[in-house]
Amino acid sequence: MEAGPAPNGSTGQKNMSPVDMLRIKQQMSNQCFEMAVQLNAGKNKRSCSTSEAERDLPDYVTELEEVKTNYFNSTLALHRMQMWHAIGEKLKQNDAEADALKAVSNRCMGMCSHIQQIQKESRDLQNEITDVQKKRLEMKRLTHEKMKEIEELMSKKEHPDIEKYKAVLEKGLANMEKYKKITIMTQNVLRGILLACKVHWLDDPKLRDLVMTLEEFPVLD
Amino acid sequence: MSLLKPFSKLPCLNSANILLVESDEEFQQSLADALVDETDFTVNVRLAKSLPLPVENEESRPRIDLVVFIINLTSELSFQSTEASLKYLDPGYFLGKVCFMATNARNASVPTERLDAVRKLAASLHCPLLFAEDQTPDGVANATERLLTILKVAAGLVPMATPLYLSNLTRCTVPLDIDQPSFD
Repeated sequence: MEAGPAPNGSTGQKNMSPVDMLRIKQQMSNQCFEMAVQLNAGKNKRSCSTSEAERDLPDYVTELEEVKTNYFNSTLALHRMQMWHAIGEKLKQNDAEADALKAVSNRCMGMCSHIQQIQKESRDLQNEITDVQKKRLEMKRLTHEKMKEIEELMSKKEHPDIEKYKAVLEKGLANMEKYKKITIMTQNVLRGILLACKVHWLDDPKLRDLVMTLEEFPVLD
Repeated sequence: MSLLKPFSKLPCLNSANILLVESDEEFQQSLADALVDETDFTVNVRLAKSLPLPVENEESRPRIDLVVFIINLTSELSFQSTEASLKYLDPGYFLGKVCFMATNARNASVPTERLDAVRKLAASLHCPLLFAEDQTPDGVANATERLLTILKVAAGLVPMATPLYLSNLTRCTVPLDIDQPSFD
Protein backbone atom coordinates (compact mmCIF):
# COMPACT_ATOMS: atom_id res chain seq x y z
CA MET A 1 0.00 0.00 0.00
CA GLU A 2 1.26 3.37 -0.77
CA ALA A 3 1.96 5.62 2.20
CA GLY A 4 1.04 9.31 2.03
CA PRO A 5 3.42 11.43 0.07
CA ALA A 6 6.50 12.36 2.01
CA PRO A 7 6.97 16.05 2.90
CA ASN A 8 6.57 17.92 -0.31
CA GLY A 9 9.06 20.76 -0.51
CA SER A 10 7.42 23.91 -1.76
CA THR A 11 8.66 25.33 -5.00
CA GLY A 12 7.04 28.60 -4.13
CA GLN A 13 8.31 31.87 -5.51
CA LYS A 14 11.57 32.19 -3.68
CA ASN A 15 14.07 34.59 -5.24
CA MET A 16 15.01 32.93 -8.51
CA SER A 17 18.48 33.91 -9.52
CA PRO A 18 19.42 33.77 -13.20
CA VAL A 19 21.58 30.76 -12.42
CA ASP A 20 18.58 28.91 -11.01
CA MET A 21 16.52 29.80 -14.02
CA LEU A 22 19.23 28.55 -16.34
CA ARG A 23 19.33 25.32 -14.38
CA ILE A 24 15.61 24.85 -14.65
CA LYS A 25 15.77 25.59 -18.35
CA GLN A 26 18.46 22.91 -18.70
CA GLN A 27 16.27 20.46 -16.86
CA MET A 28 13.33 21.17 -19.10
CA SER A 29 15.38 20.74 -22.25
CA ASN A 30 16.73 17.44 -20.89
CA GLN A 31 13.26 16.18 -20.15
CA CYS A 32 11.97 17.24 -23.57
CA PHE A 33 14.91 15.48 -25.17
CA GLU A 34 14.09 12.29 -23.28
CA MET A 35 10.46 12.39 -24.36
CA ALA A 36 11.47 13.05 -27.97
CA VAL A 37 13.80 10.05 -27.86
CA GLN A 38 10.98 7.93 -26.53
CA LEU A 39 8.71 9.05 -29.33
CA ASN A 40 11.31 8.41 -31.98
CA ALA A 41 12.16 5.02 -30.55
CA GLY A 42 9.02 3.48 -31.91
CA LYS A 43 9.59 4.73 -35.45
CA ASN A 44 12.53 2.80 -36.89
CA LYS A 45 11.50 -0.64 -35.78
CA ARG A 46 13.69 -3.44 -36.99
CA SER A 47 13.89 -6.80 -35.35
CA CYS A 48 17.23 -8.01 -34.14
CA SER A 49 18.25 -10.28 -31.33
CA THR A 50 19.57 -8.99 -28.03
CA SER A 51 23.00 -10.41 -28.66
CA GLU A 52 23.28 -8.42 -31.89
CA ALA A 53 22.19 -5.32 -30.06
CA GLU A 54 24.70 -6.01 -27.29
CA ARG A 55 27.46 -6.24 -29.85
CA ASP A 56 26.62 -2.96 -31.51
CA LEU A 57 26.15 -1.14 -28.25
CA PRO A 58 29.81 -0.43 -27.36
CA ASP A 59 30.40 1.16 -30.76
CA TYR A 60 27.56 3.58 -30.28
CA VAL A 61 28.66 4.35 -26.77
CA THR A 62 32.19 5.09 -28.00
CA GLU A 63 30.81 7.42 -30.63
CA LEU A 64 28.79 9.24 -28.02
CA GLU A 65 31.82 9.49 -25.76
CA GLU A 66 33.93 10.99 -28.51
CA VAL A 67 31.34 13.60 -29.35
CA LYS A 68 30.93 14.48 -25.71
CA THR A 69 34.67 14.83 -25.18
CA ASN A 70 34.98 17.08 -28.20
CA TYR A 71 32.13 19.22 -26.99
CA PHE A 72 33.67 19.45 -23.54
CA ASN A 73 37.07 20.42 -24.92
CA SER A 74 35.54 23.07 -27.14
CA THR A 75 33.64 24.49 -24.19
CA LEU A 76 36.84 24.63 -22.19
CA ALA A 77 38.61 26.42 -25.01
CA LEU A 78 35.72 28.85 -25.32
CA HIS A 79 35.81 29.58 -21.59
CA ARG A 80 39.54 30.16 -21.78
CA MET A 81 39.10 32.64 -24.60
CA GLN A 82 36.33 34.43 -22.77
CA MET A 83 38.44 34.68 -19.64
CA TRP A 84 41.41 36.10 -21.46
CA HIS A 85 39.24 38.56 -23.28
CA ALA A 86 37.73 39.71 -20.00
CA ILE A 87 41.17 40.05 -18.42
CA GLY A 88 42.39 42.01 -21.41
CA GLU A 89 39.43 44.37 -21.28
CA LYS A 90 39.96 44.88 -17.56
CA LEU A 91 43.60 45.71 -17.98
CA LYS A 92 42.74 48.35 -20.50
CA GLN A 93 40.73 50.26 -17.94
CA ASN A 94 43.34 51.66 -15.60
CA ASP A 95 41.66 51.35 -12.22
CA ALA A 96 42.50 49.75 -8.90
CA GLU A 97 41.56 46.22 -9.99
CA ALA A 98 43.61 46.55 -13.15
CA ASP A 99 46.58 47.60 -11.05
CA ALA A 100 46.12 44.59 -8.83
CA LEU A 101 45.97 42.36 -11.92
CA LYS A 102 49.12 43.95 -13.27
CA ALA A 103 50.94 43.44 -9.98
CA VAL A 104 49.90 39.79 -9.91
CA SER A 105 50.99 39.22 -13.49
CA ASN A 106 54.35 40.91 -12.81
CA ARG A 107 54.91 38.63 -9.86
CA CYS A 108 54.03 35.66 -12.03
CA MET A 109 56.57 36.76 -14.62
CA GLY A 110 59.24 37.15 -11.96
CA MET A 111 58.56 33.71 -10.59
CA CYS A 112 58.54 32.18 -14.05
CA SER A 113 61.98 33.58 -14.88
CA HIS A 114 63.19 32.37 -11.49
CA ILE A 115 61.81 28.96 -12.28
CA GLN A 116 63.52 28.94 -15.63
CA GLN A 117 66.83 29.85 -14.06
CA ILE A 118 66.57 27.14 -11.45
CA GLN A 119 65.57 24.63 -14.08
CA LYS A 120 68.63 25.54 -16.11
CA GLU A 121 70.87 25.10 -13.07
CA SER A 122 69.38 21.77 -12.24
CA ARG A 123 69.81 20.65 -15.81
CA ASP A 124 73.51 21.61 -15.75
CA LEU A 125 74.02 19.78 -12.49
CA GLN A 126 72.27 16.76 -13.90
CA ASN A 127 74.57 16.81 -16.91
CA GLU A 128 77.61 16.97 -14.66
CA ILE A 129 76.36 14.04 -12.68
CA THR A 130 75.83 12.06 -15.87
CA ASP A 131 79.38 12.83 -17.02
CA VAL A 132 80.87 11.70 -13.73
CA GLN A 133 78.84 8.53 -13.87
CA LYS A 134 80.02 7.86 -17.39
CA LYS A 135 83.65 8.28 -16.33
CA ARG A 136 83.16 5.98 -13.41
CA LEU A 137 81.63 3.38 -15.63
CA GLU A 138 84.56 3.68 -18.01
CA MET A 139 87.02 3.23 -15.14
CA LYS A 140 85.18 0.19 -13.99
CA ARG A 141 85.29 -1.29 -17.43
CA LEU A 142 89.03 -0.72 -17.77
CA THR A 143 89.68 -2.19 -14.34
CA HIS A 144 87.65 -5.19 -15.27
CA GLU A 145 89.60 -5.69 -18.46
CA LYS A 146 92.94 -5.43 -16.71
CA MET A 147 91.88 -7.93 -14.11
CA LYS A 148 90.88 -10.34 -16.82
CA GLU A 149 94.23 -9.93 -18.56
CA ILE A 150 96.10 -10.55 -15.34
CA GLU A 151 94.11 -13.69 -14.67
CA GLU A 152 94.82 -14.94 -18.16
CA LEU A 153 98.55 -14.38 -17.83
CA MET A 154 98.68 -16.08 -14.46
CA SER A 155 96.96 -19.14 -15.74
CA LYS A 156 98.98 -19.18 -18.97
CA LYS A 157 102.46 -19.01 -17.39
CA GLU A 158 103.10 -22.61 -16.46
CA HIS A 159 101.80 -24.75 -19.23
CA PRO A 160 102.90 -23.59 -22.68
CA ASP A 161 106.65 -23.42 -21.91
CA ILE A 162 106.74 -26.78 -20.33
CA GLU A 163 104.62 -28.28 -23.10
CA LYS A 164 106.82 -27.04 -25.89
CA TYR A 165 110.29 -27.30 -24.46
CA LYS A 166 109.92 -30.32 -22.29
CA ALA A 167 111.66 -32.64 -24.67
CA VAL A 168 114.48 -30.19 -25.36
CA LEU A 169 114.90 -29.50 -21.64
CA GLU A 170 115.20 -33.16 -20.87
CA LYS A 171 117.73 -33.68 -23.56
CA GLY A 172 119.76 -30.72 -22.31
CA LEU A 173 119.65 -32.01 -18.76
CA ALA A 174 120.82 -35.44 -19.86
CA ASN A 175 123.69 -33.85 -21.76
CA MET A 176 124.62 -31.82 -18.75
CA GLU A 177 124.69 -34.93 -16.59
CA LYS A 178 126.92 -36.64 -19.08
CA TYR A 179 129.45 -33.81 -19.24
CA LYS A 180 129.41 -33.45 -15.48
CA LYS A 181 130.39 -37.08 -15.17
CA ILE A 182 133.15 -36.65 -17.73
CA THR A 183 134.48 -33.60 -15.91
CA ILE A 184 134.45 -35.37 -12.56
CA MET A 185 136.26 -38.35 -14.06
CA THR A 186 138.85 -36.10 -15.67
CA GLN A 187 139.38 -34.29 -12.39
CA ASN A 188 139.84 -37.58 -10.59
CA VAL A 189 142.38 -38.71 -13.16
CA LEU A 190 144.29 -35.43 -12.85
CA ARG A 191 144.26 -35.70 -9.09
CA GLY A 192 145.61 -39.24 -9.34
CA ILE A 193 148.41 -38.14 -11.67
CA LEU A 194 149.43 -35.17 -9.51
CA LEU A 195 149.44 -37.32 -6.42
CA ALA A 196 151.46 -40.01 -8.06
CA CYS A 197 154.02 -37.55 -9.42
CA LYS A 198 154.53 -35.97 -5.99
CA VAL A 199 154.78 -32.54 -7.51
CA HIS A 200 155.22 -29.45 -5.37
CA TRP A 201 152.11 -27.67 -6.64
CA LEU A 202 152.30 -24.83 -4.16
CA ASP A 203 155.28 -23.34 -5.96
CA ASP A 204 153.80 -23.03 -9.43
CA PRO A 205 150.91 -20.50 -9.55
CA LYS A 206 149.27 -22.12 -12.53
CA LEU A 207 149.37 -25.52 -10.89
CA ARG A 208 148.15 -24.08 -7.63
CA ASP A 209 145.07 -22.59 -9.27
CA LEU A 210 144.34 -25.90 -10.90
CA VAL A 211 144.60 -27.82 -7.66
CA MET A 212 142.29 -25.34 -5.90
CA THR A 213 139.51 -26.35 -8.22
CA LEU A 214 139.91 -30.01 -7.25
CA GLU A 215 138.35 -31.05 -4.02
CA GLU A 216 140.18 -32.36 -0.99
CA PHE A 217 143.61 -32.41 -2.44
CA PRO A 218 145.97 -33.36 0.32
CA VAL A 219 148.90 -31.02 0.90
CA LEU A 220 152.10 -32.80 0.34
CA ASP A 221 155.10 -31.80 2.06
CA MET B 1 -3.05 -4.38 -15.49
CA SER B 2 -2.16 -0.94 -14.31
CA LEU B 3 1.37 -0.33 -15.44
CA LEU B 4 3.37 2.50 -14.02
CA LYS B 5 4.37 4.51 -17.04
CA PRO B 6 7.31 6.89 -17.14
CA PHE B 7 6.05 9.45 -19.60
CA SER B 8 2.32 9.55 -19.02
CA LYS B 9 2.42 12.75 -16.99
CA LEU B 10 4.13 16.12 -17.26
CA PRO B 11 7.38 16.50 -15.36
CA CYS B 12 7.89 18.91 -12.46
CA LEU B 13 10.30 21.82 -12.41
CA ASN B 14 13.39 21.80 -10.24
CA SER B 15 12.34 18.69 -8.43
CA ALA B 16 12.74 14.97 -8.64
CA ASN B 17 10.35 12.20 -7.67
CA ILE B 18 11.61 8.91 -6.40
CA LEU B 19 9.64 5.79 -5.51
CA LEU B 20 11.06 3.39 -2.94
CA VAL B 21 9.59 -0.11 -3.09
CA GLU B 22 10.40 -2.40 -0.20
CA SER B 23 8.33 -5.28 1.12
CA ASP B 24 9.81 -5.09 4.64
CA GLU B 25 9.26 -1.33 4.95
CA GLU B 26 12.27 -0.84 7.24
CA PHE B 27 14.96 0.93 5.28
CA GLN B 28 12.52 3.03 3.30
CA GLN B 29 11.79 5.42 6.11
CA SER B 30 15.36 6.30 7.09
CA LEU B 31 16.35 6.58 3.44
CA ALA B 32 13.39 8.86 2.75
CA ASP B 33 14.29 11.12 5.67
CA ALA B 34 17.83 11.45 4.42
CA LEU B 35 16.73 12.04 0.83
CA VAL B 36 14.48 15.00 1.56
CA ASP B 37 17.36 16.83 3.20
CA GLU B 38 18.71 17.65 -0.21
CA THR B 39 18.62 21.41 -0.73
CA ASP B 40 19.68 22.06 -4.29
CA PHE B 41 16.38 20.87 -5.61
CA THR B 42 13.21 19.41 -4.20
CA VAL B 43 13.09 15.67 -3.68
CA ASN B 44 9.68 14.06 -3.40
CA VAL B 45 9.81 10.57 -1.96
CA ARG B 46 6.96 8.10 -2.39
CA LEU B 47 7.03 4.87 -0.43
CA ALA B 48 5.40 1.63 -1.44
CA LYS B 49 5.41 -1.94 -0.27
CA SER B 50 4.99 -3.42 -3.72
CA LEU B 51 3.59 -2.68 -7.13
CA PRO B 52 0.93 -2.18 -8.47
CA LEU B 53 0.26 1.12 -6.78
CA PRO B 54 -3.26 1.82 -5.54
CA VAL B 55 -5.57 3.35 -8.10
CA GLU B 56 -6.96 5.93 -5.71
CA ASN B 57 -3.77 8.02 -5.76
CA GLU B 58 -3.41 7.80 -9.52
CA GLU B 59 -4.43 11.41 -10.11
CA SER B 60 -2.42 13.10 -7.38
CA ARG B 61 0.73 11.15 -7.97
CA PRO B 62 3.40 13.04 -9.88
CA ARG B 63 5.55 11.54 -12.59
CA ILE B 64 8.04 9.16 -11.02
CA ASP B 65 11.61 9.73 -12.16
CA LEU B 66 13.32 6.81 -10.46
CA VAL B 67 11.98 3.54 -9.04
CA VAL B 68 14.21 1.89 -6.45
CA PHE B 69 13.60 -1.71 -5.42
CA ILE B 70 15.06 -2.42 -2.00
CA ILE B 71 15.83 -6.11 -1.54
CA ASN B 72 16.74 -7.50 1.85
CA LEU B 73 19.08 -10.35 1.06
CA THR B 74 18.29 -12.21 4.27
CA SER B 75 14.64 -12.75 3.35
CA GLU B 76 13.43 -14.75 0.38
CA LEU B 77 10.07 -13.00 0.51
CA SER B 78 11.71 -9.67 -0.27
CA PHE B 79 13.22 -11.04 -3.46
CA GLN B 80 10.05 -12.73 -4.59
CA SER B 81 7.96 -9.65 -3.92
CA THR B 82 10.36 -7.59 -6.01
CA GLU B 83 10.18 -10.04 -8.87
CA ALA B 84 6.41 -9.95 -8.76
CA SER B 85 6.36 -6.13 -8.71
CA LEU B 86 8.55 -5.91 -11.79
CA LYS B 87 5.68 -7.02 -13.95
CA TYR B 88 3.71 -3.88 -13.15
CA LEU B 89 6.36 -1.56 -14.45
CA ASP B 90 6.23 -0.23 -17.99
CA PRO B 91 9.27 -1.32 -20.06
CA GLY B 92 10.10 2.33 -20.62
CA TYR B 93 11.31 2.49 -17.04
CA PHE B 94 14.07 0.00 -17.62
CA LEU B 95 16.02 2.43 -19.75
CA GLY B 96 17.78 3.90 -16.79
CA LYS B 97 14.92 4.78 -14.45
CA VAL B 98 15.07 1.68 -12.29
CA CYS B 99 17.65 0.87 -9.66
CA PHE B 100 18.09 -2.10 -7.34
CA MET B 101 19.41 -1.71 -3.84
CA ALA B 102 20.43 -4.74 -1.79
CA THR B 103 20.88 -4.65 1.98
CA ASN B 104 22.48 -7.07 4.44
CA ALA B 105 24.87 -8.45 1.90
CA ARG B 106 27.51 -8.98 4.58
CA ASN B 107 25.26 -11.15 6.70
CA ALA B 108 26.58 -14.67 7.03
CA SER B 109 23.17 -16.24 6.72
CA VAL B 110 22.69 -15.05 3.16
CA PRO B 111 22.87 -17.96 0.75
CA THR B 112 25.12 -17.20 -2.21
CA GLU B 113 22.44 -18.32 -4.63
CA ARG B 114 20.22 -15.43 -3.62
CA LEU B 115 22.94 -12.88 -4.20
CA ASP B 116 23.70 -14.46 -7.56
CA ALA B 117 20.02 -14.44 -8.44
CA VAL B 118 19.74 -10.74 -7.60
CA ARG B 119 22.83 -10.03 -9.67
CA LYS B 120 21.46 -11.93 -12.63
CA LEU B 121 18.17 -10.14 -12.34
CA ALA B 122 19.83 -6.72 -12.34
CA ALA B 123 22.13 -7.69 -15.19
CA SER B 124 19.36 -9.06 -17.38
CA LEU B 125 17.40 -5.83 -16.93
CA HIS B 126 20.47 -3.64 -17.50
CA CYS B 127 19.98 -1.81 -14.22
CA PRO B 128 22.49 -0.73 -11.60
CA LEU B 129 22.73 -2.74 -8.43
CA LEU B 130 23.78 -0.87 -5.31
CA PHE B 131 24.70 -2.41 -1.99
CA ALA B 132 23.74 -0.49 1.13
CA GLU B 133 24.31 -0.79 4.81
CA ASP B 134 21.15 0.20 6.56
CA GLN B 135 22.00 -0.14 10.27
CA THR B 136 24.29 2.86 10.78
CA PRO B 137 23.63 6.52 9.94
CA ASP B 138 26.84 6.54 7.90
CA GLY B 139 25.56 3.70 5.78
CA VAL B 140 22.27 5.48 5.23
CA ALA B 141 24.10 8.67 4.27
CA ASN B 142 26.27 6.81 1.77
CA ALA B 143 23.30 5.09 0.20
CA THR B 144 21.47 8.43 -0.01
CA GLU B 145 24.38 10.06 -1.79
CA ARG B 146 24.58 7.36 -4.39
CA LEU B 147 20.85 7.32 -4.97
CA LEU B 148 20.84 11.09 -5.35
CA THR B 149 23.49 10.88 -8.05
CA ILE B 150 21.35 8.52 -10.07
CA LEU B 151 18.19 10.46 -9.28
CA LYS B 152 19.65 13.72 -10.52
CA VAL B 153 20.38 12.16 -13.89
CA ALA B 154 17.00 10.47 -14.06
CA ALA B 155 15.20 13.76 -13.42
CA GLY B 156 17.18 15.54 -16.09
CA LEU B 157 19.01 17.82 -13.67
CA VAL B 158 22.45 16.94 -14.99
CA PRO B 159 23.23 18.62 -18.29
CA MET B 160 24.58 16.35 -21.00
CA ALA B 161 23.60 13.12 -19.23
CA THR B 162 20.46 11.12 -19.80
CA PRO B 163 19.37 8.14 -17.71
CA LEU B 164 19.83 5.81 -20.67
CA TYR B 165 23.43 6.93 -21.06
CA LEU B 166 24.11 6.58 -17.36
CA SER B 167 22.58 3.12 -17.28
CA ASN B 168 25.14 2.03 -19.83
CA LEU B 169 27.89 3.03 -17.49
CA THR B 170 26.39 1.75 -14.25
CA ARG B 171 24.67 -1.44 -15.25
CA CYS B 172 25.30 -4.52 -13.24
CA THR B 173 27.37 -7.18 -14.91
CA VAL B 174 27.54 -10.80 -13.98
CA PRO B 175 31.00 -12.34 -13.76
CA LEU B 176 31.43 -15.29 -16.09
CA ASP B 177 32.09 -17.77 -13.33
CA ILE B 178 28.94 -17.03 -11.39
CA ASP B 179 27.64 -20.56 -11.87
CA GLN B 180 30.77 -22.17 -10.51
CA PRO B 181 30.62 -23.34 -6.93
CA SER B 182 32.28 -20.87 -4.60
CA PHE B 183 34.62 -21.61 -1.70
CA ASP B 184 32.51 -22.65 1.30
